[in-house]
Amino acid sequence: MKKKLSALLLAFAMLFTLAACSSGSNPGSAAPNDDDNPQQTQSGSQGGSGETIALRVWGAEEDQALLKDLVEKFKAAYPDQTFSIEIGVESESKAKDDILTDVTAAADVFAFACDQLPDLVAAGALLPIDDQMDAVLQNYANKTVADIKSANSEGSVGSATLDGKLYAFPFSADGYFMFYDPSVISADQAKSWDTLLDAAQAGGKKVGMTLASGWYLAGFYYGAGFTTGLNADGTTSMDWNGTSPSGVTGVQVTQAALKIAAHPAFMPVIDGDSSNQIKSGSLCAVVSGCWDSQVAAEAFGDDYMACRLPSFMAGDKEVPGGAVASYKLMGVNAHSKNSGWAMLLAEFLSNEESQVARYSARQLPPTNISAASDPAVAADKGVAGLADQSANASLQAAGGKYWDPVKSFGEQIAQGTIKSDDASVQAALDDLVAGVTAPLG
Amino acid sequence: MKAATTSSEHITLERDLTSSGRFFTDLGTAITKGDLFVKLSILWWGAGYARRKQFFKAIAMTLLEAAVIWFTVAFAVQYVPKIGTLGTVQAEQVFNMETMKTEWNDYDDSFQILLFSVLSFVVWFAAVLVVLKNLVNVYQLQRREELGLHINTFKEDVSTYLNEKFHVTLLSLPVLGVVMFNVIPLFILILVAFTNYDQQHMPPTALFTWTGLTNFINLFGGGGLTLTFGYSFARVLVWTLVWAVFATFTTYFGGILLSLFLNNKRTKFAKLWRALFIVTIAVPQFVSLLLVRNFFADNGIFNGMLTSAATALGIIAEGTTLNFPWLTAPGWAHVMIIIINIWIGVPYQMLIATGVLTNLPVDQIESSRIDGASTSQTFRYITMPYVLFVTGPALVTDFVKNINNFNVIYLLTQDVYTTTNQALANSQATEVDLLVTWLFRLTQDYYNYKMASVIGIAVFIICAVFTLVAFNFMLSGDKEGVYN
Repeated sequence: MKKKLSALLLAFAMLFTLAACSSGSNPGSAAPNDDDNPQQTQSGSQGGSGETIALRVWGAEEDQALLKDLVEKFKAAYPDQTFSIEIGVESESKAKDDILTDVTAAADVFAFACDQLPDLVAAGALLPIDDQMDAVLQNYANKTVADIKSANSEGSVGSATLDGKLYAFPFSADGYFMFYDPSVISADQAKSWDTLLDAAQAGGKKVGMTLASGWYLAGFYYGAGFTTGLNADGTTSMDWNGTSPSGVTGVQVTQAALKIAAHPAFMPVIDGDSSNQIKSGSLCAVVSGCWDSQVAAEAFGDDYMACRLPSFMAGDKEVPGGAVASYKLMGVNAHSKNSGWAMLLAEFLSNEESQVARYSARQLPPTNISAASDPAVAADKGVAGLADQSANASLQAAGGKYWDPVKSFGEQIAQGTIKSDDASVQAALDDLVAGVTAPLG
Repeated sequence: MKAATTSSEHITLERDLTSSGRFFTDLGTAITKGDLFVKLSILWWGAGYARRKQFFKAIAMTLLEAAVIWFTVAFAVQYVPKIGTLGTVQAEQVFNMETMKTEWNDYDDSFQILLFSVLSFVVWFAAVLVVLKNLVNVYQLQRREELGLHINTFKEDVSTYLNEKFHVTLLSLPVLGVVMFNVIPLFILILVAFTNYDQQHMPPTALFTWTGLTNFINLFGGGGLTLTFGYSFARVLVWTLVWAVFATFTTYFGGILLSLFLNNKRTKFAKLWRALFIVTIAVPQFVSLLLVRNFFADNGIFNGMLTSAATALGIIAEGTTLNFPWLTAPGWAHVMIIIINIWIGVPYQMLIATGVLTNLPVDQIESSRIDGASTSQTFRYITMPYVLFVTGPALVTDFVKNINNFNVIYLLTQDVYTTTNQALANSQATEVDLLVTWLFRLTQDYYNYKMASVIGIAVFIICAVFTLVAFNFMLSGDKEGVYN
């Protein structure tokens, strides 16, 4: 009996790691972080006096120095108010994971990639920029929400909007397009996948693109007029197994993608590995974004080119190379203790001046229309490439169940494990749609 | 009275007093035969002690009772009444222009209700145990007084906890720790499996509630969830078990062989070799595994080296590259993970085996040698059975540890391995996932706490059943006697 008991206890102990793993990250298990927020005297002050406003900001590691400058400017802009602002590191692409671990302990203001917006809104982590916030902005920053919406590009505002409500301030465009080496590929050859790949093969180089990703792969389908959507219950809608409004079938698009992937000059790139692949020197063209501008300049020479994705043939129709329009957003935690001031800070960190500063520090393309028309910004090849792509870029609406199935589908295209006959492709697409549109379990 | 008892009578009386050993029998006697103060002890925990002039104990018990009542009134009542629904008041916020702050209503947080209710139940359960034990204790005091025996002073009571009851003193802190950090989280984990705690129901913004056995039905393909969830569970479970068996036995035997080589008299520089193997332990797995992962990447160094070698030997044409999917294709990745794990795990087993081998029964080996046994016979009939016997329990824990071996699998495959099996992908699983890595992804990326809990329970049952069976099998019979 004792042995059994000790065996059972042993199993309990083994499982403890497990329990710690799952319950440790439960929201609500930790008390709200009061020590970051010195207890304030309830003087009923008009915001502009007395109490110190404690705020925390999370931004990308590369943005830390910039954020420090901007925060100082923010303090200078409101000299009547004392602040205690703490800046933390949180990558924009992973912000959601840490915020949703415990919303009440997350930063007041945080930067995140727009694909996380639905999850953050669903968890109630974002403070909507509603009429009251409009009033706050008018009182203190002297601008209305309408001003902010019109100052930024339509797509960027759209990416921060869900169900007609604005949830965050856009501050940087983050889409993808194509870089290429003009010594191997001519501007005309870069216009379609067929000529591009043949030219690359002739030059003994390869064309790199990430296929195993719900972000990159979607470009093929969005370009052909297919859509994905986010339903109110958090599930995703998807029509890729049907026929698009422009008369192209999903089967044709998939077959075109399979053909591209099977070309000897095509190299499927692992998501996030594009910089390394460009550096390796085996590529003459790559689908990537402004974050790779410098690497591309080093590998392809200073006369490197950036343009929209090539078109491809689906059946007998030519389909333009589509892309997902993505943006980086600055949001305010719905559980912020000083939500009004947090809103003002988020707005400040994404205003025109800050966007210009961000471009000069990191070459990230602004979403602010007048910042983008700044001559130095407009002359940037990466920014121009993104602007060229924006004609064929769509906003991506998708729920949590979208990503893994599409990633796997892209990998199957990259590896060519889907047979290219109509029936097999249709069956594969049906499976994909079943997985993506499945109810949340 | 006390003076009247002789020493022999005294011993008999003490013997009479010793409880029957059955708690509930004692309790029954205490309730039926106890005097007013014993009975009063149910309401006022210090009553019995106060009556027998054990005032310190009376005060301590009264304070404890007050603490429990205060806990109940000030804390538990906020949560426990809501346990049936896990809360009904949705969080709502209003922005106050004056203070520039968001004001929240007094909303319910389902997770807090669950957590603090469980805590309250544990506290109350402990309190009931205290009351019952207390009854038995004060009845003993009553009997002692009736029989004219010595009643301990507070000082004497304290000193028993350093002497005959020292085990109680020693164990109380660990037991408290186990309850707080193992038992309560485990209860929560189990209870969450019966709720709809997921991304759509995340406190504090949204409430979650009880859903009965729905999640368990879903796990085994009862519908509601993706049709492939049950399939994925079966696939992941099979690989988990295959992995655990291979990972455990390869490193186990590898470690023993390695330490045998190192212990062999003819091995030169044994200490140097041993130190080199231990270096793999000293380097954090995060570093070494991530490096190995990049080393074996499709476009990684290893494929590059193979390409250059093959080109130089003329096996492949100039310009073609070898791209073996070491860690990116099913089958390949499975084998590679097990091989890489040998490299990671063998040094640990080597250290354990070295310790065991230094305690080998030398007399038996000597006599077998005299009887003319060969080296391999000695190994097979003496060394190995001995090592197996001594390290058997460790082998079982290793197996359970490998079922939950998160590091190796996660660090080697995360961000690299993409499944081409649509059915698995539709349930957020891959061919190389262990139950525990799948569970991690479900919670970390999809906030699917309820299904993660169900899988957690499944893992627990697997581990518990295996451990019980293995220990029973290993420790049955009289093997212990053979070696003593």
